[in-house]
Amino acid sequence: MRVLLAEDDDDTARLVDQGLVELGHQVVRVETGDAALRLGGGEPFDVAVIDRMLPELDGTEVVQRWRAAGISTPVLMLTALGGIMDRVAGLEAGADDYLVKPFAFPELAARLAALMRRPPISDSPTRLAVAGIEMDLIKREVRRDGREIHLQPREFALLEQLMRHAGKVVTRTMFLEIVWGFHFDPQTNIVESHLSRLRSKINDGFDSDPIQTLRGIGYRMRTDE
Amino acid sequence: MLHRRKLTWRASAAYRIALIYATVYALTIAALGMAVYFAADAEISRQQDEGIRVEAVELSDEYRREGLAHLARSIDAREAGGGSNSFSYALFDARGKRIAGTLPIRPPTKGWHHIAVRDSDGASVPARLLSTDIAAGLRLAVALDNHAIEQVDRTILTLCLAAFAIAIIVGAVGALLLGGYLQRRLEAMVATAVEIAGGNIDRRVPLSPRGDEFDRLGGALNAMLDRIGLLLENLRQISSDVAHDLRTPLARLRVEIELAQNGAPDPVQRREALDRALHQSDELLRLFSAILRISEVEGGSLARSFVTIDVSALVEDLSESFAPAVTDGGRTLAQRVQPGLTIRGDRQLIAQALINLIDNAQRHTPVGTAIMLIADRATDGVELVVADDGPGVPEADRERVVRRFVRLEASRTRGGHGLGLNLVSAIAVAHGGRLIIGDNAPGLRATLWLPTES
Repeated sequence: MRVLLAEDDDDTARLVDQGLVELGHQVVRVETGDAALRLGGGEPFDVAVIDRMLPELDGTEVVQRWRAAGISTPVLMLTALGGIMDRVAGLEAGADDYLVKPFAFPELAARLAALMRRPPISDSPTRLAVAGIEMDLIKREVRRDGREIHLQPREFALLEQLMRHAGKVVTRTMFLEIVWGFHFDPQTNIVESHLSRLRSKINDGFDSDPIQTLRGIGYRMRTDE
Repeated sequence: MLHRRKLTWRASAAYRIALIYATVYALTIAALGMAVYFAADAEISRQQDEGIRVEAVELSDEYRREGLAHLARSIDAREAGGGSNSFSYALFDARGKRIAGTLPIRPPTKGWHHIAVRDSDGASVPARLLSTDIAAGLRLAVALDNHAIEQVDRTILTLCLAAFAIAIIVGAVGALLLGGYLQRRLEAMVATAVEIAGGNIDRRVPLSPRGDEFDRLGGALNAMLDRIGLLLENLRQISSDVAHDLRTPLARLRVEIELAQNGAPDPVQRREALDRALHQSDELLRLFSAILRISEVEGGSLARSFVTIDVSALVEDLSESFAPAVTDGGRTLAQRVQPGLTIRGDRQLIAQALINLIDNAQRHTPVGTAIMLIADRATDGVELVVADDGPGVPEADRERVVRRFVRLEASRTRGGHGLGLNLVSAIAVAHGGRLIIGDNAPGLRATLWLPTES
C-alpha cells in the first residue's frame, strides 16, 4: 500500500516509516502541511498518516482542505493532544481515525489496515461470512456451519468487528472504542473477558478456533475455512 | 500598581462624589430660594393690585352716589390723610384736564400700568397704577408705590443668599468629612491587598460588624483569598507528590534499561528486561494521562458539551460489560437499577468514573467479594453507587483517599497510581455533584451523587 506520512517529529517518523516498510508498504514522508496538501492532490495514496501539529499548515487544515477538494483518502491523525475536545475537532475536520502519541506501532498498523481498502458506504453488507461463520446483521443472528449460536449484544458486536476486519488485526483499544465507545483505558480487561466467552460459545462443538490472539496487540479472525 | 500614598483630592473618587453631592444640594437650595422669591413677589403684587382696585371701586361708588363735586372733595381728603393712606390719585375730564388729585401724571390710557413718579425729594419711585372710566369722559387713576414689595423682596433675597452660603459651607465641610471616611474604609482594604501582593498570603481584609457594602466587598475579597490560598496549597502538594511519586517508577525504569544494557548476553533475559522497561514506561504514561485528564475535567470547559444521559441504561450496560471480567477474577457483580434516571453530562466521563470505582472494588478486595452497582433516585438528583463487602476504608481515611496520589498502606502493593478516586471526584464536581466514600457495613460504599439540573 502507498502511505503518505506527514510528520515533523523525526523519532515518530522513523518508527512509523520503518515499521510500515517492514510490513511491505510504500511510505512517502513529508514534514510540512503545505507539502502534504500538494502531494495529496497529486498521486493517489491508499491511506495518509497526518500529524496534527505540522509547520506551515497544521494537520486539521490539511484534512479540511482535502475534503473540500473532494480528496477522500482515508486519514489517520496523530497527535500529542489527547483531550476530549481535540479528538472531536480532529474527526470533525474530516479525519477517519485519531491516535494519541505515544502509541505502540502495532496499534497504528492495525488501525491503518482497518482504514485501507474501506468499502464505499453504498457497499454496506447485510451479511458477513468468514471461516464458516455467517452473521446476519439485520436479524442479529450468527450461525457456524449452519448451527445457530446465541450471543449477547456485546459478544455479537465483538464478532462483527472481527469479521468486518477479517484477516486484519483489531486491537484492544479499537474494540474499546468501537464496541463500548470508550476513549480511555478502563484498567479492567473487559475485552479479554468478553472475548473469551465469545470464543467458548463459537467453538463449542467445533475443532478449530477462527479467532487468533496476538499477545500485546489484539485479535484477528482467520479468513481460511 | 498599588502604592501606599493616599490619593490626592483631585484624583479621589470619594471626595469627588461628596463634593458633587454637596454642590447639587446647594444648587437645590438656591433654586428653592428663587422659587420662594418669585412666589412671594407675585402674591404681594396680587394683593396690592387688589387693594388698588377696591379703592377705585369705592371712589366710583362715591361718584355715583354723591356726584362729581363730592368725589373731588373725597379725593383731596384721602390725599391729605397722610400716613394711613399711601394711595395717590388723579381725576381727568374728557378733554384731559385735571379735576382732582395730585398724582403727577398725564392722563393715562385705561388699564393697569407700571409707572415711576418723582417724590418730594426728587427721587424716582416705582408705582402701580389703575386707570378706569368711572363715567363717560371721567377718567380716574389710582396709584400705589411698590415700597412694600421692594422691602419684602430684599428681605427674601438676603435670606436666600444666606441660606445658599451656609449650604455651601456645610456642604464643603460635609464633603471633606465624608470623603475622608470613605477613603479610610477603602484604604484599609488597599493596605491589606498591598501586603498580600508583597507576599503575605495569610492576611485578610478586616471587617466591621455592620455588614455594609464595604464589609461585603471585604468579605468577597477574603473568600477569594481563601480560595487562592487553597489552590496554592493544592499546587504545592501536587508538585511535591508528583515529584515523589514519579521518582519510583522512573527509577525502576532506569534499572530495567540498565539491566538490558549490561546484563547477561542472553537475548531472552535482555528481551524480558526491555519488556519490563516498556511496561514501566506505559505505567508512567498512564499516570500522566490520568493527571492530564483530571486537569481537563477540573478546567471546567466541559459543561458546554453536556447532553442528556440515561444513567440507568449506562449502569446496566456497565454491569453487563464488567460482569464477565469480575467473575473471571473470582468476584461477583450484581446490579439494582431504577429505570429511567437521566442527568445532563458527558457519558464518557460518567462511564469512566463508574469504571474507576468498579476497578477499585476489584483491585482492593479479596477473592469472593460481592460488588453491587446501584442506580437510584435521590433528592434533586441521582445516586450511582458502587458498593462491595470487602475490607472497606477506615473512617479516618475516607476524606484523604479522594485526594491525589493518596494510597492507603494496605493497597500500596496492589498497583494503581492513587489518582483513580481523585478523577472520579473531579468528574463528579464537573457535573455539579460529589463523590461520597462511605461505609457499606461491611465494606466500601462509593456514591456518586449527580444533580438532575446542573
